[in-house]
Amino acid sequence: MMLTKFETKSARVKGLSFHPKRPWILASLHNGVIQLWDYRMCTLIDKFDEHDGPVRGIDFHKQQPLFVSGGDDYKIKVWNYKLRRCLFTLLGHLDYIRTTFFHHEYPWILSASDDQTIRIWNWQSRTCVCVLTGHNHYVMCAQFHPSEDLVVSASLDQTVRVWDISGLRKKNLSPGAVETDVRGISGVDLFGASDAVVKHVLEGHDRGVNWAAFHPTMPLIVSGADDRQVKIWRMNESKAWELDTCRGHYNNVSCAVFHPRQELILSNSEDKSIRVWDMSKRTGVQTFRRDHDRFWVLGAHPNLNLFAAGHDSGMLVFKLERERPAYAVYGNMLYYVKERFLRQLDFNSSKDTAVMQLRSGSKFPVFSMSYNPAENAVLLCTRATNLENSTYDLYSIPKESDSQNPDAPEGKRSSGLTAVWVARNRFAVLDRMHSLLIKNLKNEIVKKVQVPSCEEIFYAGTGSLLLRDADGVTLFDVQQKRSLATVKIAKVKYVVWSADTSHVALLAKHAIMICNRKLESLCNIHENIRVKSGAWDESGVFIYTTSNHIKYALTSGDHGIIRTLDLPIYVTRVRGNSVYCLDRECRPRVLTIDPTEYRFKLALVNRKYEEVLHMVRNAKLVGQSIIAYLQKKGYPEVALHFVKDEKTRFSLALECGNIEVALEAAKALDERGCWERLGEAALLQGHHQVVEMCYQRTKNFDKLTFLYLITGNLAKLRKMMKIAEIRKDMSGHYQGALYLGDVSERVRILKNCGQKSLAYLTAATHGMDEEAEALKETFDPEKETVPEVDLNAQLLQPPPPINPLDTNWPLLTVSKGFFEGAIAAKGKAGQMAADMDVDAPGGEGWGDDAELQLEEDGFMDAQDGLGEEGGAAKEEGGGWEVEEDLDLPPELELSAGAGGGVEDGFFVPPTKGMSPTQLWCNNSQLPVDHVLAGSFETAMRLLHDQVGVVQFGPYKQLFMQTLSRGRTCYLGLPSLPCLRGNPQRNWKDCGAKQGLPAVGLRLSDLIARLQQCYQLTTAGRFEEAVERFRAILLSVPLLVVDNKQEIAEAQQLITICREYIVGLTMETERKKLPKDTLDQQKRLCEMAAYFTHCSLQPVHMVLVLRTALNLFFKLKNFKTAASFARRLLELGPKPEVAQQTRKILAACEKTLTDAHQLNYDPHNPFDLCAASYTPLYRGRPVEKCPLSGACYCPPYKGQVCRVTQVTEIGKDVIGLRVSPLQFR
Amino acid sequence: MAAQQGDVDELFDVKNAYYIGSYQQCINEAQKVKPSTPEKEVERDMFLYRAYVAQRKYAVVMDDIKASSSPELQAVKMFAEYRSNEGKRSEPISVQDCDCKRDAIVAELDKKMAKSVDAANTTFLLMAASIYYHEMNSDAALRTLHQGESLECMAMTIQVLLSLERVDLARKELKKMQEQDEDATLTQLSTAWVNIAVGGEKLQDAYYIFQEMSDKYSPTLLLLNGQAACHMAHNKWEEAEGVLQEALDKDSSHPETLINLIVLTQHLGKAPEVTNRYLSQLKDAHRAHRFLKDYLAKENEFDRLAMQYAPTATV
Repeated sequence: MMLTKFETKSARVKGLSFHPKRPWILASLHNGVIQLWDYRMCTLIDKFDEHDGPVRGIDFHKQQPLFVSGGDDYKIKVWNYKLRRCLFTLLGHLDYIRTTFFHHEYPWILSASDDQTIRIWNWQSRTCVCVLTGHNHYVMCAQFHPSEDLVVSASLDQTVRVWDISGLRKKNLSPGAVETDVRGISGVDLFGASDAVVKHVLEGHDRGVNWAAFHPTMPLIVSGADDRQVKIWRMNESKAWELDTCRGHYNNVSCAVFHPRQELILSNSEDKSIRVWDMSKRTGVQTFRRDHDRFWVLGAHPNLNLFAAGHDSGMLVFKLERERPAYAVYGNMLYYVKERFLRQLDFNSSKDTAVMQLRSGSKFPVFSMSYNPAENAVLLCTRATNLENSTYDLYSIPKESDSQNPDAPEGKRSSGLTAVWVARNRFAVLDRMHSLLIKNLKNEIVKKVQVPSCEEIFYAGTGSLLLRDADGVTLFDVQQKRSLATVKIAKVKYVVWSADTSHVALLAKHAIMICNRKLESLCNIHENIRVKSGAWDESGVFIYTTSNHIKYALTSGDHGIIRTLDLPIYVTRVRGNSVYCLDRECRPRVLTIDPTEYRFKLALVNRKYEEVLHMVRNAKLVGQSIIAYLQKKGYPEVALHFVKDEKTRFSLALECGNIEVALEAAKALDERGCWERLGEAALLQGHHQVVEMCYQRTKNFDKLTFLYLITGNLAKLRKMMKIAEIRKDMSGHYQGALYLGDVSERVRILKNCGQKSLAYLTAATHGMDEEAEALKETFDPEKETVPEVDLNAQLLQPPPPINPLDTNWPLLTVSKGFFEGAIAAKGKAGQMAADMDVDAPGGEGWGDDAELQLEEDGFMDAQDGLGEEGGAAKEEGGGWEVEEDLDLPPELELSAGAGGGVEDGFFVPPTKGMSPTQLWCNNSQLPVDHVLAGSFETAMRLLHDQVGVVQFGPYKQLFMQTLSRGRTCYLGLPSLPCLRGNPQRNWKDCGAKQGLPAVGLRLSDLIARLQQCYQLTTAGRFEEAVERFRAILLSVPLLVVDNKQEIAEAQQLITICREYIVGLTMETERKKLPKDTLDQQKRLCEMAAYFTHCSLQPVHMVLVLRTALNLFFKLKNFKTAASFARRLLELGPKPEVAQQTRKILAACEKTLTDAHQLNYDPHNPFDLCAASYTPLYRGRPVEKCPLSGACYCPPYKGQVCRVTQVTEIGKDVIGLRVSPLQFR
Repeated sequence: MAAQQGDVDELFDVKNAYYIGSYQQCINEAQKVKPSTPEKEVERDMFLYRAYVAQRKYAVVMDDIKASSSPELQAVKMFAEYRSNEGKRSEPISVQDCDCKRDAIVAELDKKMAKSVDAANTTFLLMAASIYYHEMNSDAALRTLHQGESLECMAMTIQVLLSLERVDLARKELKKMQEQDEDATLTQLSTAWVNIAVGGEKLQDAYYIFQEMSDKYSPTLLLLNGQAACHMAHNKWEEAEGVLQEALDKDSSHPETLINLIVLTQHLGKAPEVTNRYLSQLKDAHRAHRFLKDYLAKENEFDRLAMQYAPTATV
């Protein structure tokens, strides 16, 4: 199918040339004009009108800003399009010039003329270097070979000729060759060797040949002639022969060219058609007709998939097929069709794999795609030239595929224009009758839906579609079969939904409309250039591409350019500053963009000012355009804070009524105009102090005086009067006096300015008799008459101000804008951060004995400690991941079908089935599974048998919690009790019978909970710590772990808890003991010493050892104290502690003896009885707790373990069972 | 394929909102819509009042529906009366009182059922079955529903069957529904329930159903808890957390949400206190919820069983 990209209307187009790099095309017209067009922007760039009569030859130079033209005025002109003028003209031909071409490498021009010659010109020396004679009629066309020293020409003498010009090249371009060697135009040098010789004469056309062209890579020639045929010729070194003929045109063939990259030939003709031929089959593949215009010329773009054709009333730029790849994005995956493969690109890992091979059979490429993530299925739509023949394929994507050689699954093909998923198991098909079918995964029709007239359908979220008709888009609910909303926009081509489907972008050829979910239009954007593609970024900005730009659009309608593009791309996804796209070769690419501008605007629209501020501070965004933008969009207060330029600041400040800032700026500027404007603005706000300053600065005495009058500032008003007097401003002076009510001053002024009568009257009226008399004296009774004093005159006295206005007008308090606050706070922030981490470690439990000075890193040490233990245990692991659960087929699982009989209308209610929880008990011997199943009875028995639990009280909480996590619930019908779900840990492969509950208690969680216990220990809150350790300890039998290593870790966890519980309980006990007598003190020391033999974290051991050290030192048992000191030092305590310890150690070593005999022998290994806190030296009988492993003197056998408080000491048990492995 | 193909159900929005648990919207839609026939009007009112019942606004229903109203609405009123006598708070006397009233309603219902019932009055069947289901009398519920043929009867049958752990029969019933109208909201929802019960690969399908509906209409508590149940069945605890958080934001004391959070917090390894907080909330607000009844029963059972064990020696 032919896609027209650009069309012009003009006089007949006789010549065409694409620019190799820029989106330009030259068209030479029959009326003598040469036009330079930008076919992407669709604008005329330039016109060159110097030829007299039709211009037929036209060609861009490949590297330089030149083009050549040849016309019916016998002239060849070389032009520079940058300078926009003709550089020179080559004269020599004696008749119309048909074609002109530059050589791709040499400074040559090739021209063909009706004077039956072909000429080669050197445009550098501006001379003709060769004349090729031989044709005996008009030469219609002559072209250089793209790589070899050959020329092909076509003539009305019915031949096509191939010329060898290697001689010319050798002569002209061999080293040492000089231009002057070429004399005249003979083409034959002194010695008779010809520069250009005819190599082949191709005869076969039986009318004049209009065009001939070489194949870009193969030794082929195509020609078109008045015999209405297109012929393909093949040649080798020695001969050339006719290969085949393409018949179909029914009038003269004007031009024929090879497709630069495909096995196609394009030709056009005076029969008003362009035809595309398959080169190997020699059959017509496509025909494109115009109604009234005969075609004259064709041009192929050297690199792009573009062609141009000139006809009677203009030209058109077109391509043969869509280059837009079919693609779909889901989550982090891009699916796209490349060649015959469906490929998958993982955006995160950039892994690009072919997931399947497509069924072949259509000559048309895939037009569009719809992907279904739930079923991993895809619909691929293919458009045929005749729309009614369009089809779609439904494929299920293979789960695993070898990318090198992917599967080619059988798809289901049906006819239909478009197919789109509407639900996880339904898709909609727009069939060729333009009605809507809903189909299931088997490609069976489940529903036919009557829809309003519709040409195209698009996805619109589950159960909905967008239907496009001629002038709008309708949101249609497929289930309800009704239209929900319609929006007017012509010819939407693509639809892009935001990730949350809250917004949709409708893309038409030159327009974008953004709508919300209800299809209410939010904004409309017009583009002069074609809109290509788009995607929503994570912040809700629509990023789209046109043919040459990446642009953005906010839903508010704000839009702009992000960057330019050399070639069109198809955006697939936008994340941060990366634009993921496919290019025209269908290669996935990532382009980097600068999102600052639209982020900034978005932040403004959303009034996220802290973000705005951050961007302004960090992105150096301030530019005139941004300020102008802010001003235009009504954010002067925002703009104000980014602007340094005082002038702009001033006007922005006025715009948002910020008098203070304006004043600052005005002071800096100190221009009259500013002060005036500020004065006006300040007056409006009643800010009369600033008004005063403005009037002062502008020396506006009148206004200033009036201001003082109305604010009742008599002192200053008087001053103004004085100033007026000094300035000899009589009227100002008088005015001042009038305002002040200063009559004598007025009289004085009037007198001084010669208004004697007025002065007299003023004085007389105001009862200033003396003054009046004095004035009366001055009257010359001869010439002057003393005016009559009006006895009824009323005095003009301004009322005295009651309360002078010192302060500004009160204004409503307005909360400061974000920016004022943020800017003001700048610089203060840093000080707050410093003094945060002062946190005193607690120490009640540790008592004074230890003189503790713990710091936080103690806690860290403890963490490290556990980490190491975990690491050490790892050696045993590995290889234990065997799970051999049987997988029953689903048919078997539901064999029991008793009850539920419906026969004879007699209803028998079914019996209750086997619940998953019952199965759990059957499938497991682990206590927790039974608790989760709610079978407390069996759970208790298991715990009793495995770890000897005899007192279940403490387990109640654990049991109830565990039970409550075994069942989820979901609502069925409204107002009914909910349904229950049973999460299972082996849900993937358990079938109906092998289920086991999801446990919800992880070893790692328990281990993590240790940290809290350690912290409590560090803080000296021993009783709380013991409680928590015990909770962990009791939880261990309720674990389920997968491998041996974890079993070992679980056991280790028990040990840790036990050691701490024993130690901390003993220490608590010790604290309570009296210390009055020596024996009592000795017992205290013993217990402190035993504590040092509990296995604790180093941080705690340091504390324990220090306690013991101090106690023993005080007891003068220096020898033992010294051993504690040494052990302490080995742990690498903090320097202060170490120093002090060393001092004590030195003191001890002076007298290395023990003053008292204690029941403590550090060298003889012992276990500690957890009830009596006495050492049980090796070899003595011991009873142990079956769960915690705590040791006891034999008399305690049968009692409840002090550590666990649930188990029986010395009980005979199976042992801890926390993994199915332990039952094999 | 739908029987009444092509024609638009004018009450679609009303019904749909009701079934997905968007009760206020159901009420709003019902007040907006102008039914074309008197039958439709009754149907609309039925959904309207049932939505009120679902919102526990029983008084509205009992006051509005008069003795002269249609038999369908009388059935709704009966259900509302039954529901309104649910033990609300922890006052034992009133609970007993309520139980008495309930028993009376059930006895009355039993009598009606013993006579021949107008099977065309689907609403009555549904309401009767609902009461039996609440009474945990699944036999009677199923027997009642068996007389009806509407999609909702089938959906309720499925729900009862599932609570009886008879997934096999539920599947059969579902098949019938699918034959009648596979795309109906009720069929979809029922599919999801059955899929959760079947488990395994079907869980994903169930999830998609809830999710699609949330996307398409609105994420109601019903749909969100359905999604959460799927996630949890999948052991996708983090995902469930997001969904349940959303549900909690919508209604902080919705019992099913709280129950699911009790499950979830433990699976996420949160401290026991967090779980207990939700449990306390549930105890506070929904004392009569079946979950708590079970819970208390289990506590008693624990105490009883624990007595069977004791250490050999005492201190």
